[in-house]
Amino acid sequence: MVFFLFQVLVGLIMVHLARLLMKNYHGGHVAIRFALGGCANRPYFRIVAAYNKRARDGKYLEQVGCYDPLPNSHNEKIVGLNIERLKHWIGCGAHVTKPVEKLLGFSGLFPLHPMTITNAERLRKRRALEAPATSQEETPSD
Amino acid sequence: MAAPAGGRFGSGLMLPALRRCWAPLRRPPLLVPARGRKSRFDPPAKSKAGRVKLPPPVEPAELLVVAERYRLYRLVLHALRTEFKEEVMQKSREARLAKEYGKEAMEEHQALMAWNDAENARLRKKREERLRREEEELQDRKLQGALNHARLMEEFLKQKEQEVLQLQEEARNFITPENLDERIQECLDNPRNYNFAIDKEGRVVKRSVLS
Repeated sequence: MVFFLFQVLVGLIMVHLARLLMKNYHGGHVAIRFALGGCANRPYFRIVAAYNKRARDGKYLEQVGCYDPLPNSHNEKIVGLNIERLKHWIGCGAHVTKPVEKLLGFSGLFPLHPMTITNAERLRKRRALEAPATSQEETPSD
Repeated sequence: MAAPAGGRFGSGLMLPALRRCWAPLRRPPLLVPARGRKSRFDPPAKSKAGRVKLPPPVEPAELLVVAERYRLYRLVLHALRTEFKEEVMQKSREARLAKEYGKEAMEEHQALMAWNDAENARLRKKREERLRREEEELQDRKLQGALNHARLMEEFLKQKEQEVLQLQEEARNFITPENLDERIQECLDNPRNYNFAIDKEGRVVKRSVLS
């Protein structure tokens, strides 16, 4: 009987102490970003909604997708996205980091990122400059 | 080139980036390297003695293009964020109302909203119909007014022409300095008597003693 009462009391106290053990953030915000996992020479990213000040691979609020940067046997890079939860977090005011923005631009949820277009243009220009240079090198050698 | 471009874009973030075009000429080399294996009190290595670190070069034309792309991108993103926020609000509102009032009340509310929308659509159609008819009538009246005006102008011009022709006709009989002598002679040669007598029955007598 006494033991039972003691257990009830401890339960009540721990309920109120647990709130104090939780981390309180001041002025932080939620960010949707990459959390790196995998092994040596084998990266793997989880797209994660986490508080800004948390460690990169630390405790997160919710996993919202995944991204495998290494291409598979069909030369594809796999990306998984939970669009509904993404929309929910962005509607709650989460910030989105640049790599995630670029991925979402490729997926179609966001428009294509400006730097994606700019880098593609720069690459094209560089290849156009290199192609005549190499052809000029080949023809005198012949 | 930076000054005129900076005049319009300088208020944004472009002017600092534009300054990087002249960075190789103007900026002093950075002396504090980024942290890594060494702490901030360790001296830099001897191989890095004459190293000059410069930021990446920037082309002004490309920068303008990229700035415009970013502006449009941020516009779209802001709109998307507003949209998602609205969805979240809607969901939370529905959950709260469902918890408070129950499912039947929610369905009734939805039915009423649908009815309201239908009413609005119907009234809008009526209003648009009325406006279109009024517009047409206005156009008709304007046209009529223009035609009337044209007709009146035509009549006025015709009248004036008539008057001018009449005057020209009368001008033939005017007395001018050239005709003066002839006319005087004519008048003196043909004396005219304007006297006449009339009685109460209305019988006129032109012949008199003087003529």
